[in-house]
Order: sequence, then C-alpha cells, then structure tokens
Amino acid sequence: MADPNQSEQKPADGDLSDAELLELFAGHGVYRDNAAQYRGRLDGQLLINRCADCARYHQPPRPMCPNCWSFDVVPTPVSGRGTIHLLMYLHAGPPADGVDYHNGGHPVVVVELEEQEHLRVTGTVHEFGPNEPSIGDAVELDFLDRGGAPIVAFRPSHPTELNHPTKPDQPSLQEHRSQD
Amino acid sequence: MARSPMKDQIAIVGVGSTGFSRGDRSPLSLALEASTAAIRDAGLTAADIDGVVATAEAGAASAPLVVSSLGLTEVSHHSRPAPLIMFSLLDAAQAVFAGTADHVLIVTPVMMSSWNSRRATQDPWRRGARSSILPVPEDSANANAYATWAGRYMHEFGASKDPFARIAVNSRSNAAANELAAMRKPLSFDEYHAGRMIRTPLNMFDMDYPADGADAFVVTTAQRAAQLPQPPVLIHAATTGVYGKNTEDQLPSLKRHGQHVVVDHLKARSDLWIDDVDLFYPYEGFTIIALSWLENCGFCEMGGAERYLAEHWNDERQRIEIDGRIPLNTHGGSLSEGATRGTGHLREAVIQLRGQAGARQVEGAKVALVTPGGFFFNSQGAILRSA
Repeated sequence: MADPNQSEQKPADGDLSDAELLELFAGHGVYRDNAAQYRGRLDGQLLINRCADCARYHQPPRPMCPNCWSFDVVPTPVSGRGTIHLLMYLHAGPPADGVDYHNGGHPVVVVELEEQEHLRVTGTVHEFGPNEPSIGDAVELDFLDRGGAPIVAFRPSHPTELNHPTKPDQPSLQEHRSQD
Repeated sequence: MARSPMKDQIAIVGVGSTGFSRGDRSPLSLALEASTAAIRDAGLTAADIDGVVATAEAGAASAPLVVSSLGLTEVSHHSRPAPLIMFSLLDAAQAVFAGTADHVLIVTPVMMSSWNSRRATQDPWRRGARSSILPVPEDSANANAYATWAGRYMHEFGASKDPFARIAVNSRSNAAANELAAMRKPLSFDEYHAGRMIRTPLNMFDMDYPADGADAFVVTTAQRAAQLPQPPVLIHAATTGVYGKNTEDQLPSLKRHGQHVVVDHLKARSDLWIDDVDLFYPYEGFTIIALSWLENCGFCEMGGAERYLAEHWNDERQRIEIDGRIPLNTHGGSLSEGATRGTGHLREAVIQLRGQAGARQVEGAKVALVTPGGFFFNSQGAILRSA
C-alpha cells in the first residue's frame, strides 16, 4: 500500500488535481481526511482507513485511529463483500443521474463489511431483478458511474439464492412503499 | 447517586410563545415577540435580563443581535448553543448556577426552510440559503438515518407501522386543544397509513411539521423565583448525552445510543423517575424517536412499544394515556404543534406544571419528564417539578 501522504504531492490515480477531485465529487462531502477514499473509487477500489499499529479499521475516515490514537492510518482496499444492515427507499430528494424517486423509490443501503464487525459503508443497490433486497442479504461491491464519479453500489452475491419473497415473520418494507 | 449540586436550585420563571404556523415574519420578529412575552410573564423588565442564550438554528439571531434588538443595557452571559432546547436550558441554568448571570433569557425561533420544506424553496425570503451544489442521494446521515434505523427496528422486533401511527395520531389529537399548534385537524389511522411516503418506511406523518414560530424562557435561581409572580418550575435534573460510536451508519446497535446515555445520567441524578412522573414529553421529530424514548426510559421493554401503546391507548380520546394517567406530548409535539426542536415540549411541561394548561390540563401534575433529541448527536432530557 502506498504512503497515503504521497497522494498530497502526486495523486495515485495519475493526474487528477485536488481541485478536479473536488469538482468531480461535488456534493459528496470530500475533504482532506477522506480524499484518498474518493481517489480510490476512481481506481475501482473501496478503501477503508486501517490502523498500521493496531490493525483496526474505522469508518468514516478519520486522520487518527480512534482505537489506539495512532496517526498511522492507511486507506486500505477491502473485499466489498458484506451484508445489508440498514435499508430504506427515498421517494424525494436531490435530482441525480440514474436516480428514480418514483416507481418504488431509490434504495439506500448500509452494508456491514466482512472485514470487521460493525464496519459499514453506505451506498445503493441494484441487479436484484424481481427480488426485493432485504436486511441480511449477502452483497458485493459494484460501483455505478454518475457523470464520471463512481457511486458505491452493491449487487447480490448469490443471485440464485435470492428467491425469497419477504420472510413471513418479518415486516416488508415493500409493503409500505407500495403505497407511494 | 451521582454528583448533582444543581438539583432543584434553578427555576424556569417565564415562558413566551408566538405559536407556530406557516407565516411571513422574520425569525428576529418572532424571537422578539416570544422574548418580550417571556420576560413579562416572569414579572421582569429589560433591566433585569443579564444573560441571553440564543440558538444556532439556521436563520436565528445571534445573542448580541437579540441583546441590541431588545434594547438591553448589557449582559454578562451570552451564548449560541446548537439547536434542540436542552442545550440552551442547560447553558442558561449553568450560567445562573455559576453566578455568571441572574436572569437569563433563552430564545429559540424556528423557521421552515429549504432543507425541510418544499414550499420554502418557492419563497424568495428563504430559498437564498439553498446551496447550488446538490448533495448525493446515497446518504445515511441526518433525516435518512431515522428511516434506516426505523426499518432496522421493524426488522429486529417484527414491529408493524401501528406504533408509529399511534405516536402521530396521539400528537394530532392533543394538538386540537392547543391554540399554539400549526396542525389541529384530527388525523385518523387510515389517513396516517395513506400518507405520502417520503423515506420508506417513514411517511409524511412520521416527520415533524415545518413551521415558523419562537419560544422563549426566563431562568433564574429557585430563591429568586419564590419572589416572582408565576408558580416556579424547578429543574430537578437535566443532561445531554452522546454515545461514542455516533456516526449514523456506524452505530453498533439500537441497544446503545445517545438516549441510553441520557437515561442513565438522568436516573443517576434524579430522586424521581418514571413511576413518579405525571407528564411525559418524548420528542418526535420522527415517530421512531418517540417509540425509542418510551422503551429506553423503561416504560416497556425494547421492541415492546407496539404492544404497550395498544394497551395504553384511550380509544375515545384517540391518544396515549399510560396507565390511564400519563398522557404523552399534551401540546401536539413536533408532529402537530410544529417542528420546534423540543422547545414546545419544554414550554408545555412548564405550563402544565404551573396548572395553566386550560382544557389540556392534567390535574395535579407535579413532575414532568422531557426528552428531546434523537439517537446520534442531540439526545437530551430533563426532569422538571413544581416547587
């Protein structure tokens, strides 16, 4: 893994300047302490800050490890595999390419990554076909493109196993959003 | 018992409110109307006010602007805490307790604005605040967090939307008797369930009602309060609380967040708890927040709100009455009085404890539990008592 400080002098993805990065990801909330993660997206990588001293990951990216107070935190590629922990549908919101707030709404998920308990990232889901995504589903990373800016998205890990309509003992989010 | 030297030493002696509606006045105009009403209510004049606690609410006046607009000579304490009323109440109470000021004015205007109201985006006086850079939809912070965690709550406990509906219908039923409230038309369960979905699983009736208005309070010592005209309301215990892992999507579980911190600290500093309270004001900026306060304060077990609220529902009055005795959000809460950031919850508790709530009055009410705030960065609570 490259020294994260190196990116300040010479961006790892080649020639995108800090100003260009901020412009490409306008509205994403890019700042000094998470810029490496956005540069990682341009390389097709999901980077999570990991402490070089205690090996703990943390989210969202901070300049110091909240577990051991080391400043030696390294944006580290992760597998992108995990399970859906939180799930909602937006029926209104800021306009964005490819986002449909109607027809059931735009899904937003929080996925718990397999690397560490409670380590999560937020994104959207797709490629579920006729199935409804559910809390607990196994998913894997699949960036979506939005005007050149890769968006964190997840697709089912095992599409053939997703033939579960909503489990009978669980409330269906679909049941609620169908009123839209 | 934890250290609690301020217990019962500080009193709320004045309240003033503009009421809440979709109006055309500036936040400063509303703030000044509420402030002068609260100071007069306390039997005081401008010359008595030596502290001003403003609010960092968007568009709200700074403390120096309030001081100059009220024509105060000078003040020895001023501040501008984050929105949600307990930040302001604690700051004012601590200033009085420390002797930095003797009579502190708290003033908290709220405005519907472009981030919480589509109508506000059409208003040239309000839309200026809107940024030209659009945020990314795939966000689990702030308002979206309550939709995601409401879904998690339903998943973990097999809850339906019924308890959410009861919180919303309860607030509307109570607002009918509150002339300060923005939404006083009764809400039926059918209307609730047919509400326009905003963030599944939460619909428009699960979210507070953006409105304009202001509340103000005057705080002083309990000794001084005894010389003033209104029945004093004492701050028995008050706290704010934040849990370490408070980033919305990183919260480990619903078993521990800011509300639990607040409840633990209140219980450790109070002689009074839920068996002693006559009034309960669980904030409901989102319905899930009130359900969580109910459970986390210990009225029922985690995930038990659906059963508990059905058991403690007054069908005739279409509202919650715990053990037939303790009503919730007697003023209509944030869902129906208006999105007051908890100032309405506090003001109504004070008016009830004074015995001045008219048709809404809970007979003999002496102790109120007020719990503003959600899970992540603004959980807070207070126990108030009549003197």
